[in-house]
Order: sequence, then structure tokens, then C-alpha cells
Amino acid sequence: MSELRCEHLSASYGHRRVLDGLDLVVPGGTLTAVLGASGSGKTTLLRVVMGFAHPERGRVVVGGSVVAEAGRRPLAPEKRGIGYVAQEGALYPHLDVERNVGFGLPRAERTGSPRVLEMLELVGLSDSYRRRRVHELSGGEQRRVALARALAPRPSVVLLDEPFSGLDAALRSETREAVRHALEAEETTAVLVTHDQSEALSMGREVAVLSDGRLVQTDEPSALYRTPVSLSVAEFLGEAVVVAGRAQAGTVACLFGNLTVTGERLEGPVEVLVRPEQIRVSRPAADTVPRLSSPAVSASVAEVRYFGPDTLVRLALRGPTGPTGALVSARVASYEAPAVGDLVELSVLGPVAIFPARSSTTEAARPPELREATA
Amino acid sequence: MRPAHPLTSSERADGGVADRADGRAGRRNAPWLTVLSLAVAAVVVVPVVITVVQALEGGVGPAATALRQSSSLVLLLHTALVAAAATPICGVFGVATAWFVERTRLPFRRMWALLVVAPLMVPLFVTSYAYAALGNSLTGFVGAAGIIAFCYYPIVFLLVAASLRVIDPALEETARSLGVGPWATFRRVVLPQVRPALYGGMLLVGLDALVEFDAFVAFKYQTFSVAVYGQYQLSFSASGAAALSFFSIVMCVVILFVERRLRGDANYTRVSAGARRATLRYGLGRATPAVLAGLAALVAVSLGVPIGMLVYWFSGSTPAALSSASANLQYLWPATLTSVLLGLGSAVVAVLLALPVSLLVVRHKGRLATLVERSVYLSFALPDLVAAVALAYAASRLHLLYGSVALLVLAEAMLFVPFAVVALRSTLGLIEPGLEDSARSLGLGPLRAFWRVTLPLARPGLAAAAVLVFAFALGDLSTAQILLPPSMHTLGTQFWANSSTVAFAAAAPYGAVLIVLALGATWVLMGKFGAVRHLEAR
Repeated sequence: MSELRCEHLSASYGHRRVLDGLDLVVPGGTLTAVLGASGSGKTTLLRVVMGFAHPERGRVVVGGSVVAEAGRRPLAPEKRGIGYVAQEGALYPHLDVERNVGFGLPRAERTGSPRVLEMLELVGLSDSYRRRRVHELSGGEQRRVALARALAPRPSVVLLDEPFSGLDAALRSETREAVRHALEAEETTAVLVTHDQSEALSMGREVAVLSDGRLVQTDEPSALYRTPVSLSVAEFLGEAVVVAGRAQAGTVACLFGNLTVTGERLEGPVEVLVRPEQIRVSRPAADTVPRLSSPAVSASVAEVRYFGPDTLVRLALRGPTGPTGALVSARVASYEAPAVGDLVELSVLGPVAIFPARSSTTEAARPPELREATA
Repeated sequence: MRPAHPLTSSERADGGVADRADGRAGRRNAPWLTVLSLAVAAVVVVPVVITVVQALEGGVGPAATALRQSSSLVLLLHTALVAAAATPICGVFGVATAWFVERTRLPFRRMWALLVVAPLMVPLFVTSYAYAALGNSLTGFVGAAGIIAFCYYPIVFLLVAASLRVIDPALEETARSLGVGPWATFRRVVLPQVRPALYGGMLLVGLDALVEFDAFVAFKYQTFSVAVYGQYQLSFSASGAAALSFFSIVMCVVILFVERRLRGDANYTRVSAGARRATLRYGLGRATPAVLAGLAALVAVSLGVPIGMLVYWFSGSTPAALSSASANLQYLWPATLTSVLLGLGSAVVAVLLALPVSLLVVRHKGRLATLVERSVYLSFALPDLVAAVALAYAASRLHLLYGSVALLVLAEAMLFVPFAVVALRSTLGLIEPGLEDSARSLGLGPLRAFWRVTLPLARPGLAAAAVLVFAFALGDLSTAQILLPPSMHTLGTQFWANSSTVAFAAAAPYGAVLIVLALGATWVLMGKFGAVRHLEAR
């Protein structure tokens, strides 16, 4: 149950400053997901914490003891007690499953020891896996063995580097559950690094968004998704419909009508973040449901993209005199999705987040994904 | 409450592993490649077959005489001893130098890589005569084993260094994160990964030691190849020589078998296709001067002494010796030209022979590929001299190429084809088979896909293979002595003719040209070995 603290970390790769004053606190026994696009510094962060790269400024503290500090001799990686699950597992091809899991244990415990069997069981692999060679395992099994191997020597912190990349959807969620279960059972402090939003949001007790070498926001997943600190964080976390509006006293007036505001209070011209799944699409004729939040706006369905459980609907907004030219996206449950050409009414469910107006935004709506579709 | 065990694995074997396995083992069979490879293997074993037939034809009488005369038990012991002593030393030198060059922050790494490989490229007869001329202290076993150890360790270096470059760095990082220190990580993770390369290198060294002649004759050390030479020189007994060669064939087969057993299934394929990124390099810290001194000593012994001796021979000669030496210089230019052309010819032929074999070994692993690869290694089973005689015999019987330079080119190519295979394999192994598959899907036939995708990517490997064979052909003496048309001279025959008559000052220029060519070849080689175009391996 050791806490991991990174304080004001700065590090470079070659001449490029990759980490730039990064602060991260992972409370003992919890998992924090670090979410960042490629090139944001994720790998460097892991390498600095593990001890394969060294900070130019700041320090890394594990369970109260400093393992790396700028200007001081860093503790060797093997003495830090920080486990590591590499991308795709990095299992040793010359060893079988049991010897892989026992790799970090004292010689006497490497084979046949209860710890190895316990770890295999923890990640949901039966005894029959012990003698298997690594190349006989599926991708998901390899990740499980890699996690068992990392947990076996009882590290105080485990770092997971994109641990589910390259797995197909079903296997991914299954392996995710196995990892969550194992980490909770061992009460290990963990950092999961990923570029996958849904993975970060579903795995982390907290999610830290990494951009240009610093953390721009660290929060619980739901708070992060609902009230991102900036539009760029908002857009990075998921699809966003951004419209101009004017805020006043906890509400904002925009083309969806008057909406309740969550988070930061602003006055005057703002940009309004609406998630596509917040937009409710209903048929005008059958509209007997009482309106939840805002008065309806009418639109015609321009495009329909089917995703299985839900459907992305592209909507051309209509004013009193006809189409306004603005397009927005809504994500609706597939069973109630409209067809292309339907006339529908839109309303927005729940409160929305607002941000100071970007300098030259005059478009009524700028859903980025529609620009190229309509161009 | 969570179910007691929510996560019992019920996975399908997911696509990832199966696809990757398909990429290697389960590929379409390639009939043309198989036929070509078998043809190459058949060509390479021709001298062995002829020799065996000669030995059997000669009957028991001459064979028994030859064996008695040359006390074959001693020869057997000598040959085995040299191979057994030199091979492990080469393994240690090769792994250590490869580790320091590839995985530490050694100062002047690129320079050291060149200097460490150069001894292999310098003709062995130059080095051994230089040592033999130093004095009598090095004759016999110590000299013979020493010269093999100090001149052949670069083979291990090349293979292990190429293999070190492609190890997934995450394997080592994970070990360190599990609490395993650097030295234990080397022993428990790195060494097992490079073991196939190490054994492969030691195999080449061991086989080479079996049939080495130039070094042993210089140190007056009796092995099979030296005795075989004696049989030809003293009694012109082809069947006696064949009988003796029979032993080296048997030993070669035994070594191939032992190596196979040692290696076992240690042919690890990369499990994860993890991102290629910079490998860890360890700082040497206070050990730096010691490591530098060790490397300097190694290079001084293996490269410095022969170069120093050439300089000494030249500078320390009497004016009379120098004037006769300068009279001899008229052959220098034609001999250089002959040597270079011979080397280029052998290099081209050897690469053409090696290409189908190495493709088969890399792309279609299996019994057949192993068989073909091993038969190619049989070119080490015969002393060069015996192989050359057998080829001459075959050519005269078939009225084909007999007495022509082409036969010599072919003989040298056959002799060094295993090295070409090794160099090509380490490049071809890095090329995704999927690249060729996608070319096929774009409408290219198999040959055109190979021509337009694999071949251009493999260019560094082709160059490395060619340069290796070129250098070895320069350093070849026995084959040239048998098959070179009498009117012609090579740098090797000129050096040998002069140095064996103690005209060292006259020999020195030829040795110098050989060393300069060897260093040039090293320089080219080190830019190419184990690299793929556009995919800088380091």
C-alpha cells in the first residue's frame, strides 16, 4: 500500500524536453490511469519511475522513500521494488510459464513454490498452464502471465504500459477484469499508461491527462469526463459537440436553448460542450415525453452511422426559416435511431460544461468530425 | 460481492499469436526455393562425395598405409584438441566484445567494432607467418590454438552482436524491475537470447579449426589437414589423402550433430513484436580503463603483431634483400588485380549460392531447411586442398571448366558459402514476410515480389555476405595453389612463395596489400552486417 509521488519531474530525450514539471500522486493501493496521445511523454514517465531514465529536475518517491532525485545518484531499477508490465508482455521466450512467473523470486521459490501457483490463480490461469511455452499462449494469456510475473515479488508499485493493446474487444474486457481483480486482491498501487480513453476511464480510480510532458488534469473518471478543464481535454476524452453560447448566472443560452451549467462559472460569450450522447433525438409527432431540460430544436437527419449498440446521427439544424447550415452529432441507442431524411427534434439532457470563447470562433457549431464529411 | 473467480480464462486462441505463427511456420511451401536450395546443397557436397568414393575405391591397402604413416590417433587428438581449446575461447571473446560494443557506453564504439572484426578479414597465413617468424616459443599446440582463438572470435562477435541488436529491450527492463541486477540479467535473460547466435558462431569456428591448414603448418603442428598435405607432397597418394580426409568428414558430422543437440529448440522467435526502440546501454564507470586495455590487448595480439611484423620485415631488411625484393615487385600489380577479381567473382557466386539456402532457412523452418543448411556446412568437412583436388578431378572427368579460372572461383565460392549464408540469414530474418505477402496481394508474382521487395531490403545483407566471401577468398591459399592456372599469381601465392623461402622483405608488400584490402573490406562489412535497408538496427 505504498503511495507513489512524482514531484515536478522534468526529463529529456535527446535534446527534447519530454517531461516538463510533472506532478503525480497515486494513493496507496489504487490505480491511476495516465492518458496521453503518442508523444505526450508516457513512456518517458514510466522509464523515469522505473529507473531507466533519470530526471533533470524533481524526484520520485515510493512509499515515503526517494528512489530518484535530480542531481543525486539514482537507485538502480532492481532496487526500487517497482514492477513493470511491458507492452505485449515481454515474456521470456526461453522459459515456460512457471519460470516466467517465478523469475523475480529467490532461487528456491522459482519453481513449484506456492507463490507462483497463487499468482497464476490470481490472474485466472489454471495449473495446466505451468509447463506451457510462451509462444503457445494467446495474447490475453501472455498479458496475464506478465502481470503475474510482475506481482510475484510483491512490488510496492506496478506500472502497466498499454497492457491491453493489440487484443480484440472481447478479450480486452476480459483481460481488463483479470488485471483489475489481481491488482485489487494484491492491494498494489498501480499506474496504467494508455492512449485509449475508454480504457483509462474504466480502469482508473483516477485518470491523469498527460499533454506535452505535464499533467493537465487529474480527476475521477466521471468528473473528468463531465467537467474537463479545457476544450482540448474535452475533445481528447471523447466526441464533443461545441457550440457558441452566452452564459449568465448558472445557465447558458445557445442554439439548444437555455442549458444548466456544471463546473466553472463564467459570464458572457462562451463555448458550450455537449456530448453527443447528451443530445436526445425525438420525433415531433410522437413527442409526448415531457422535456427534461431544454426546449426542442428541430433538425433533419443527414447521415446515420451504425455502431451496434448505439448509432451516430448527423443532424442538420433547422431554424424557423429552414436549414441553418449547422451540423451536430448525436449518439442514440440503435433501437430508437431515426433514418436519413427524418425530421426530428433535439433536446439536451443534463448540465453542460462551458469554456471561455476561443478567439475567432464564430461558427454556430463546429463538430470537428463533420467538417470533412460535408466538405 | 464478486464471484469467487470471475475470470477463469475462456479465451479463444486469439488472432495475434496465430497470425504471427502463420507468418513463419505455416507458410505456403515454395517448390522452386526448395529445388534451388537442394541443388546448392548438392553442388556443395560434390567434393565430399568424390573424396568418399576415392577413399573407398583406393581400397584398404593405401588407406592403411596412410593411416599408419601418419599415426592417425595423434592427428585425431591434435585436431580435436585445437578445436576444443579454441572454440570456447572464441565464444568468450566474441560475446564479451559484442556486449561491450553493442550494450555499453564504451568510448569509440564504432572504431572498436572495426578493430575487433579486422583480424578475421586479414588472411590467416599472413598472421601465422608473422607469429611463426617471431620465434619458436609459439610453435605447436599453443600457437595453433592461439591463432584460431585470436583470429576467429570475430565470427562469434558478428553473430552475437547482430542478435544483441534485435533483442526486445523490454525483456531486460522487466528483469531489472523484478529485482534482478545487471549481471544476473545478462546471465538469465540476455545470454539465453543470444545462445543460438553464440552456438552458431562457435560451430563455424570449430568446423574451421578442423580443416585449417595455413596456421598449423606455420606452427609445425600436426593435424589431419597437415597430414593430408603431406600425403600429396610426399607420396602423391590421392587415396591416402582421401582416407585421412574421411576422418575429418566424420568429425565434421559429429560436430554438426553435437551442436544440433546443444542448440535444441533454442531457436527462439520473437514473441512480442514490441516497439523497436533504443536498447539499454550500461555505463562502464570505473571499469572503463580496464575494458579499453583488454580490447587494446586483444587487437594488438590479433592485428597489431602481423602489421608490426610486416613493417619490421620491410624496415629491418638488408639493402641486398631490399633490392631483390624490389625486383620482385613487378608481380605486385598483376597479383593484386588477379586477387581482387578472383575475390569479386567468388563473392558473387557465393552470394548466389547462399541466397536460396538462407531464404529457405529463414522463411520455411523445418527438417528440410535444417538438412540443407547442414549440408552446406559440410563444405568444412574437407581440408581446402582435398576439396580442390576433388573438384579438379570432377572437372577433368566431365571435361568442364578444367584448368580454367572459373573452376577456382567456383571452388572458393563453395568453400565460403556457409559464411555467406550466415550473413544473409541475419538480415533476411529481420524482414517481415508480410511485406512480400502484401506485394503479392498487389498483383506481383512470387519472383517479382521477391525482386522488388525482399531483395532491395536485403541489400545490406547481400553486401555483407559478399564482403565476407571476398575477404576469405583473398586469404585463401591452398585452393589457389591447386586450381590457379600456372601462369597466374595471386597476392596469397606470392606472399607464400616469398615467405616460405624466408624472403620476408619480398613477401612484405604482398602482405601489406592483403592487409589494406582486408581493412577496407572490414570497413564495408561493419556498415552492413545484420542490417536492413531503411531500418537502422542500432
